[in-house]
Amino acid sequence: MARLELRDIGKSYGTMEVLRDINLSVADGEFIVLVGPSGCGKSTLLRMIAGLEPITHGELLIDGRRMNDAAPRDRDIAMVFQSYALYPHMDVARNMGFSMEIRGARAEERRSKVAAAAKTLGLDVLTERLPKALSGGQRQRVAMGRAIVRDPQAFLFDEPLSNLDAALRVEMRLEIARLHHRLGATMVYVTHDQVEALTLADRIVVMNGGIVQQVGTPLELYDTPANRFVAQFIGSPTMNVLPASREGGDVRLSNGALISLEGLEGPVAELGIRPEHLDLADPDNATFTGSADVVEHLGSDTNIYAQIDGIGPLMVRQHGHVALRAGDRLGIVVQPERVHAFDATGARINS
Amino acid sequence: MTTFTNKAPGGTRARTSLYWRYLVEPYLYLTPAILLIALVMLFPLIVGISYSFQTVNLLHLDKGGWAGLSNYADLWADRKFWLALENTLVWTFGSVFFQFTLGLGLALLLNTRFPGRRVFQALVFLPWAVPTFLTALIWAWLFNPVIGPLPHWLAAVGALSEPYNILGDPELAIWGPITANIWYGVPFFAITLLAALQSIPSELYEAAEIDGATAWQSFTKITLPFLAPMIAITVMLRTIWIANFADLIFIMTAGGPANSTQILSTYVFTTAFKKLDFGYASTIAVALLGLLFIYAALVLALRRKFVKV
Repeated sequence: MARLELRDIGKSYGTMEVLRDINLSVADGEFIVLVGPSGCGKSTLLRMIAGLEPITHGELLIDGRRMNDAAPRDRDIAMVFQSYALYPHMDVARNMGFSMEIRGARAEERRSKVAAAAKTLGLDVLTERLPKALSGGQRQRVAMGRAIVRDPQAFLFDEPLSNLDAALRVEMRLEIARLHHRLGATMVYVTHDQVEALTLADRIVVMNGGIVQQVGTPLELYDTPANRFVAQFIGSPTMNVLPASREGGDVRLSNGALISLEGLEGPVAELGIRPEHLDLADPDNATFTGSADVVEHLGSDTNIYAQIDGIGPLMVRQHGHVALRAGDRLGIVVQPERVHAFDATGARINS
Repeated sequence: MTTFTNKAPGGTRARTSLYWRYLVEPYLYLTPAILLIALVMLFPLIVGISYSFQTVNLLHLDKGGWAGLSNYADLWADRKFWLALENTLVWTFGSVFFQFTLGLGLALLLNTRFPGRRVFQALVFLPWAVPTFLTALIWAWLFNPVIGPLPHWLAAVGALSEPYNILGDPELAIWGPITANIWYGVPFFAITLLAALQSIPSELYEAAEIDGATAWQSFTKITLPFLAPMIAITVMLRTIWIANFADLIFIMTAGGPANSTQILSTYVFTTAFKKLDFGYASTIAVALLGLLFIYAALVLALRRKFVKV
């Protein structure tokens, strides 16, 4: 197993800079998820760690050794591709044992290792099939099996679940979590799906526009997002962001409501409130008043898309059933300790 | 045959039309195509094969008629036939081997990224577009020490004792047309194999690289298996073409000197159109056909065994 260290990593194609100032250190056995919208450079970063893309700036260290110029085969890492990249002319067993075949391992050693990996992944009856005769989920398992048999210093996953249907994705997510638990290996996982990020990661790296926005545990990102981008990217449904201004130690919203926050530094431009941190209240005593636009009854939760007087749309999530219908008047109160204040640049400014 | 009489709906008509619909009708639809194929392909083939059992000589038209297997007996005893067969093997496999290896190398080079790649891809195709007659003339001149540079170069590097025309040397003459044929045929392999190379997903190479494969291992374990179907089919086609391909030899050496470049197809050609002995020419052609059939069956069997995708 290995520590990964990214020092000031950057990547440019000609004059176009796609990654900048990436600093990250991954502890031995840690599960790191790189998450961000498409085009943010997360896959490029993963490919740079793998050695499939040259590093144009900075240093990559694996277990303290500089690996910038090492070929992929010398980095001792395994990668699971989004398209799985199974060898279509080899059966499942040979696909999984390919790295050992390359190294010239003895046939019986290879067979026993492949058999063991196939068993843990539930592939033991499929080892003689060609990839074309497998379903999407089975191919995904073979790709993971190939990585396991490789027995690498670190595992890299490039959006491994994005080609699967929703039910299978949940199942494979659990499988990957179990795999990490069992192997205790260092893993770097790229996804654009925040649910995968929040459920799998020890720490999440949120990226946007080629820059790391924040690194932290899932709960850190949820509770104290560093900026407006992270705040809106992490958490579902998306955080409400309302225009606001500072008034002494308090924050004034455009409907005139005053919310007192602790530890404010500098001028406030916007206020972020997660839908689940708003509560329904008596309209006479509420911070916001308005009417329900759409009400979604999900059973466990109720999502209310409200139209607030003097502010505009606001989303509220309530636990359980709420007897509210579209068009009803409602009042909403804020849990002030869960409110995030952002300045004009989008940085979070309350403690 | 079916007779159409007025029958009540649901009556016995169903049984008679079953015979009509499943046994007769499909063949009626196929008939035009079958007739056309028979007319343009099977009929000439059968006539050609039947000539091999007859005496057909335009110089001795009086002696025509069925000859049984006597043409084949002559063939078996014909020293020239066995020589031509040997030359055919050298010519065919010498040409195909170098065309294929050089074509594959060229395809691999053209599959890398370099400036002006599209121009090169277009240029590589050029020899294939040159008429074979012209190709043969140019190469005949190139080998001629009076006007061509090749003998002088070969002598300069020590391959020849002095700059003479190898087309006049019974030991080396066959390599003249083979060289011309290699030049002519490399583009075919380069272009078809390049197309096959470009269809290999680049991720497979990345996966192999991460699995620890060297460049050579990637080539043998990914590139070659992927190219195998294309290799099998192109090598088979080219072998058959080249075995039948008389133009270059006919123009460059006309089978000489002393039959040292006579291959079966040029032998067929000279027998038919110089000696005007169509019966014996057909016999040689049938022998060539038989050999190519065996070869094609062999290649297809190998393909079924080794090609999985």
